[in-house]
Amino acid sequence: MLIQLNSQQAKLKDELHEYFKGLLTPELKAELNNPEHFEGGGPEFKKAMLTMGKDGWIGLSWKKEFGGKELSPIEQYIFVETVMRTGFPFPFLTTESVGPMIAEYGSDWAKEEIATKILQGKLIFGIGYSEPNSGTDLASLQTKAIKEKDGYIINGQKMWTSLANFSDYIWLAARTDFEVKNHKGISMFIVPTNDPGFSLTAINTLGDVRTNATFYENIKVPDSHLVGEINQGWSLITSQLNLERLALVNHGPVEELYRNVLELAQNTKISNDQFLTDLSWVKQNFAQIHSGIEALKLICWKQTWIMESDQLNMAEASVAKVYGSEFFIEAYRLLMEIMGELSILKNDSELKILNARLERMYRTASILTFGGGTNEVQRDIIAMAGLFMPRSR
Amino acid sequence: MDFSELSHQQEIRESLNKIFSEKCSPEKLKNFDNEFKHDEKLYDFLASNGYLGLGINEKLSGSGEDLYDLGILFECFGFHAAPLCLTGCLVDVAQTLQKFSKNENHQSIVSSIAQGEIYTSAILEPLNHDPENPTTTAVFDGEKIIINGTKYLSEISSLAKGILISASSNKGVILALVKTDNVKLTQLTSTANSPLFKVELKNVSIVESDVVHEEGRGLEALKYLLQINMVMRSYIALGVTNKMTSLIASYTSEREQFGRVIGTFQAVSHRAADCFIELECLRLVNQQASTNLNTSLDCENDALVSKIWAGNACHKISYSAQHLHGGAGVDRDYVLWRYCLLAKECELINGSASQNIERLGLNITANQ
Repeated sequence: MLIQLNSQQAKLKDELHEYFKGLLTPELKAELNNPEHFEGGGPEFKKAMLTMGKDGWIGLSWKKEFGGKELSPIEQYIFVETVMRTGFPFPFLTTESVGPMIAEYGSDWAKEEIATKILQGKLIFGIGYSEPNSGTDLASLQTKAIKEKDGYIINGQKMWTSLANFSDYIWLAARTDFEVKNHKGISMFIVPTNDPGFSLTAINTLGDVRTNATFYENIKVPDSHLVGEINQGWSLITSQLNLERLALVNHGPVEELYRNVLELAQNTKISNDQFLTDLSWVKQNFAQIHSGIEALKLICWKQTWIMESDQLNMAEASVAKVYGSEFFIEAYRLLMEIMGELSILKNDSELKILNARLERMYRTASILTFGGGTNEVQRDIIAMAGLFMPRSR
Repeated sequence: MDFSELSHQQEIRESLNKIFSEKCSPEKLKNFDNEFKHDEKLYDFLASNGYLGLGINEKLSGSGEDLYDLGILFECFGFHAAPLCLTGCLVDVAQTLQKFSKNENHQSIVSSIAQGEIYTSAILEPLNHDPENPTTTAVFDGEKIIINGTKYLSEISSLAKGILISASSNKGVILALVKTDNVKLTQLTSTANSPLFKVELKNVSIVESDVVHEEGRGLEALKYLLQINMVMRSYIALGVTNKMTSLIASYTSEREQFGRVIGTFQAVSHRAADCFIELECLRLVNQQASTNLNTSLDCENDALVSKIWAGNACHKISYSAQHLHGGAGVDRDYVLWRYCLLAKECELINGSASQNIERLGLNITANQ
């Protein structure tokens, strides 16, 4: 048993840290501070993606035969951690989830045209899973793809299609068989957003993160846009969601914020001879967060270590999701208490950088407890797979 | 990074579980519920099979210094609520002497501990929340050192050959061994019926060779003792809470109400799932603290985090277990009650969660 990063992994962390310091130019930072570009999609963001493609920092988890680096899960975790600490809205879902699946299961066209361009930083995908009536019960989705000669006709509506407003394609789950059990009749498609049958309306959220409702009206795609076997889409969705969950609860961003608030509090005088950190309840808040982050870090590290040996532990993956998402909410609250009423300000000149971030983070935190597999379902899984209890009803 | 147990560690876990299952059955535990809770036969059995040498150097009759090995012993001990007291002897005395004393007599004490000799510690003091500053005093008087003070929560002291105590002196904090014959012992009655003692030291005279560390390293040694004690207590807590969680799972999977097993109610299964999450966190922070202590003598924050999680897990899981069991949980003919009492002991001895949160906060905010 040894619970530390090895020297190579520590080196990778430093290397990435330096790289992103260079990548985040003042112009890019300014663009990312604009609510319209919080999630990327602006010209500076696109430039940065191309640079990263050229420098080989996309496709880390991809197999070497597809042009990737085939990094181990722990190295990928370090990558996600470091990127998230910088605040750069790296499109993980495109590059690390959808990309490798297209590279592996896509048609010849998809492999050449799509996978290659993802590696070059030229393409962004939105994820089309949820629908107005299919959220937690995703397998009940009703968007349909009907087989025609040479292709499929797609009709339906998706919800929460983030990034769709600047995506090139949607990674779309559609029903291709209506006779079988829900999850057995789903297939995955690559749907171009420049098709005239594609449209969207914005959904503006509590956390200023823009997402979209997307509409698919008689969109015809050729057979080459089907990924994997027909009616075998469910396994692609679930394996993608497993990866996504771990990335969602990465301990990097919350630890970065904790360190920043700590540094600020250590330097904030509240009287002639007292700093903010001299208050006992402030110390206690920091200690609560510290002990929470340690547990989160270890849960995530253990998950990556499990993934490295290709084992799957459903209960522990769900522990990571539930614990991480609920801890974030608690941690942001404790940090905001430390900064007090200042932390509700968005543009205080002195504390702008930090507080604007804290103010925004707390507003986005709630999506993680229900997004990526709601915590009730995760707790059901823990009780069944971890404690061998009967299925609840 | 490696979260796996080595094959010898898996073997230790398996054999200990086997031994404890056999020797700590509910019927056997009953014998100690109202008696002096220390199973001497079991203790000797563990000694003669090498389990008291876990975490002790091979040269000192042990099986190697890996503290994770020792953690397994404490986890299994907690899981089976074994009627033993191991912390004072195997952790406080053996580990501190092994790491800090250059004295050959002390090294042979460590070796004798691995073979079943009992020593204990007396570190904590009534209402002193800062064990790094003992109220017990040591005065250097020529060749002699005179100790005065009162200690409590000292384990199985009446069976111990010697007691490791902490005291403040004009040369700083010292840790020294005193002979049990030279102190006054009073047995205390405590919540989990553990054989704990008050130790009164009145003008107890020792010599410098009884001090178990080099001059000037007393505080370092005491800090180490307190840290490793926290971590090993957290391993007991892990075993205790693990057992309580598995009792929740099995009980709620069988108990029927309204025509169905109660584990199928989400309110029940989700409370059980929360115990599982708490348990996972505790396991991981313990593993981190014990493996880091393998390579460093000072891992205070890791140890504090461990004990904070232990304190919280003991409290939360104990009450969840009692609640989800209904009346069975408090019935002394069922097994849960012993774990609930042990949990309270683990939670509070050597730093409660709130106390340790305060300390951790102090450490974090002080480090610029």
